Amino acid sequence: MSDIGLDTDEEFVEQSLRDRIRENPRPALVWLAGAFVLVALEFGRILDGLLAFGAAGKFLFDGLASVPSALQGNVESALAPISTDTVGTLLGALVHDAIALAMLFVVAIFLQGYLPRRLDEVLGREMGRRRRIYAERLLLTGLLAVAAVLLAYTPVGAIVNGEISAWVRVVEILSDLPTLTSREVIPNMGHRTPDGGWDGTFLGLSPAWAWAIRFALVWVYAFAAFGWTWKGFNVYRSYYREADWTPRDDTIRRFKSQYWGLFGLFVVFGFVVLAAFAPAISPVGIQEHVYEPYDNEFEYLNDDGQIETVTHGQANLYSRSNGQNTVSPMSYDDFDRWMPLGTTPTGQSMLTHLSYGARTSLVIALTAVGLGVIIAVTLSLLTAYYKGLLDVLVVITSDTIISVPVLVLVMLLAVIFQESNHWLAEPMDGGLLLALILGFAYWPGMWRSIRGPSLQVSEEEWVDAAKTYGQTPRNIMRKHMAPYVLSYIMIYASLLLGGIIITVSALSFLGLGISEPTPEWGRLISDGRQFIATDSRHVSTISGIAIALVVLGFNALGDGIRDAIDPEADVGDVSAGGGG
Amino acid sequence: MSRWRYFLKRVALSVPVLFSVMTFLFIMLRLGPLSPVAARLGQNASGADVTRLREQLGLNDPLWQQYIDYVRDLMLFQGESWVVRAGQPIPEAIASVVPVTLWLGLWAIMLPLFIGIPLGFYAGLRPNTAGDYVASVSGILWLSMPNFWLAVMALAILRQADSGLFNWYTLGPNTQSIIGNPDFGFLTTTQLLGVIPVPTSFDVMAFATDIKLILPAALILGSASMAAELRIGRTAVLETVNSNYVEMAKAKGLKGRTIVWKHIFRNALVPLIPIITNEAFILIGGSVIIEYVFNLNGIGRLYFDALVQGDLPLAGSLVFLFTLVIIFLNIVQDLLYTIIDPRVSYQQ
Repeated sequence: MSDIGLDTDEEFVEQSLRDRIRENPRPALVWLAGAFVLVALEFGRILDGLLAFGAAGKFLFDGLASVPSALQGNVESALAPISTDTVGTLLGALVHDAIALAMLFVVAIFLQGYLPRRLDEVLGREMGRRRRIYAERLLLTGLLAVAAVLLAYTPVGAIVNGEISAWVRVVEILSDLPTLTSREVIPNMGHRTPDGGWDGTFLGLSPAWAWAIRFALVWVYAFAAFGWTWKGFNVYRSYYREADWTPRDDTIRRFKSQYWGLFGLFVVFGFVVLAAFAPAISPVGIQEHVYEPYDNEFEYLNDDGQIETVTHGQANLYSRSNGQNTVSPMSYDDFDRWMPLGTTPTGQSMLTHLSYGARTSLVIALTAVGLGVIIAVTLSLLTAYYKGLLDVLVVITSDTIISVPVLVLVMLLAVIFQESNHWLAEPMDGGLLLALILGFAYWPGMWRSIRGPSLQVSEEEWVDAAKTYGQTPRNIMRKHMAPYVLSYIMIYASLLLGGIIITVSALSFLGLGISEPTPEWGRLISDGRQFIATDSRHVSTISGIAIALVVLGFNALGDGIRDAIDPEADVGDVSAGGGG
Repeated sequence: MSRWRYFLKRVALSVPVLFSVMTFLFIMLRLGPLSPVAARLGQNASGADVTRLREQLGLNDPLWQQYIDYVRDLMLFQGESWVVRAGQPIPEAIASVVPVTLWLGLWAIMLPLFIGIPLGFYAGLRPNTAGDYVASVSGILWLSMPNFWLAVMALAILRQADSGLFNWYTLGPNTQSIIGNPDFGFLTTTQLLGVIPVPTSFDVMAFATDIKLILPAALILGSASMAAELRIGRTAVLETVNSNYVEMAKAKGLKGRTIVWKHIFRNALVPLIPIITNEAFILIGGSVIIEYVFNLNGIGRLYFDALVQGDLPLAGSLVFLFTLVIIFLNIVQDLLYTIIDPRVSYQQ
């Protein structure tokens, strides 16, 4: 597309995607219109998801922001026996500021690449490359520190805070908009009327039918969204991508011809939909049903033909599946609530537990794997590039973690943090803590699996070439080494997901993982285990089959991805197992 | 690098790893978020009790002194259990439950070895037949089902005394209960010359009872590794069957049986070595769950109880013991590699 002989620089500039779309806007617009319809139908739910992400981000930020003062406290209390108060306070303050500045410096390292102008241009004088980079980082750190001080100690912080929360409120209000699959549009909680009909449900249908319509709509929507995404990729590929062919095309072609991998994709897709649409799929809302059962009432027709109100909590007491009393799958409980998968031993809807439990597992597994991948890739790039002492240190660290069996290590850490009521154990009733622990326990395995490939790539000629051209180590690792390593880590990570789901459920089964009331599949099995020999066998059976199916799906998907990316790749047999 | 030097280097590397495990345990148990005093007295304890306990546990000593004491206690397996076996020395507490876990582990290793590998080889020698598909698919299914769920289901099925098919209580030797601790009364020994134990009699019935008590648990505990061995064994055989030396052997006119045993079997065993040694991870981690579900008083159960009841010294010692076993097995694995397959060890 470019002739080397031409002398103007513009000829070499790649046409950006925006330019390419501007030239031929029709396919993109058609696709965008479809995407717009899909988003508009579920606008509220998508905003809900964004809010959840925002909350997670805020939690992370708050946690990091509390690190300096926590360390300050530690230092002060450690010094208390051996020094005077003033010295202790002074040293504590010093530690606080040093840690805060160090953290800001790390942020500055990442931001430095995005500076609009280089420092030597601004100052108008020559400076060494290394000196310029460090000067820029220090300057940025200073700016960040000033901003942080302004935010923390002046009214500016309050103003910014108010502004943010005002916008969050706007998003919150918008997120309450009814969506196609929401409970308000197709309600399935209603009561019988004395004359035999139903009141309060969608079009006066029976709750079972109202729920079935909503359930079907969820899947129609999910498949439409999936198809539309795939269509979007194809539109990009055939109209807007500059290259006619990339290796990725071959990967996809290989994947499409594997039934085993496709089966895995299908199961995992179903799992993700179950998790993402949990509020729509569950027949009763989780907030009123599980978290605040005694604060929420609903109406039902009692045996005397009268409409009565009862709280969910009270109704649950009569709907328990505990051997003597069973609400089996595909039936109503005594209060005319539709229970597609029956009830749990506490009388709550199994499907509500199953779908929100899928959410718990998915969030934990993805967070843990994401964390592990970040640590493993960063370390593998660093050790492969610098080698030497760093490599030995990481080998020893990873060997240390590996030589404790995962389940034993995770149990130890989980108990220590839970028993001490650590603030990390709060979110998701221990879910976040578990994700962090699993990420910590699983990164050495990932690092090992990509150590060979990353050592290989660091010896390649193009890395040498980049060094002689004077590219920074960070850019060499990012541009020349990381892409090669990433395909390996993708294979390993996808094979690992099933194992993590089993580990999480095993811990919850033992009572050490996710505690009540947050739903989790392993705890369902544990709750139902004494009733397997009775009519209430569905509790343990359904949740166990669900786990086995999802793990099977992740294993199949992992195998499929491996065969699609690199049929020869030897990443060992990591899938599942692991003692769960 | 010669392969023995490589091996020695691996052994030497396990020393810093051991120390770093101890340091990690020290940081977690002594300096971590859960302070030992709180673990023993509860989160809200205060006053004289706390001061006395701090003094008693040596928490007022300088940090390096605490660390050295801690490492010494771990290495010599000193220390006392706080809660689970209150006041009992840790080695005694562990020794009293070790036989059950060893018995469980023995069968959990044997079963996959003698079921998983033969099945894998069977599938590999007859690729793409009905038998192969059945073996492979059941292996994959087996691998996907969580151990604890299998255990719960197995118990439920075995407990149904008169299901029409069989009655586990009366099948073989009669037992009162599905679950229970084997008592190892099958072997009576006397001490020859006061030291060497010599078996004098062997009670077959007691032996069978012990096996029967452990069999369901062991089968489930070994299931994950059985499936893994099946898969790896199948691939390994498939690879060997298509290799040149097997073609060569066929061309020489060797008998099928000789080819399978002398050329295929031995070479296909090599990739299985790490799978077999890695079983230790599954066995140790899994024994916690299996012993919990089957109510066996083994090491795994002891670890679980120690954790749940906040018995920090016991839990720490058990983690250290597990680590020792794993590190030892890793060294054995390297040794096996060094002897059997000189190509593998010193490449990187």
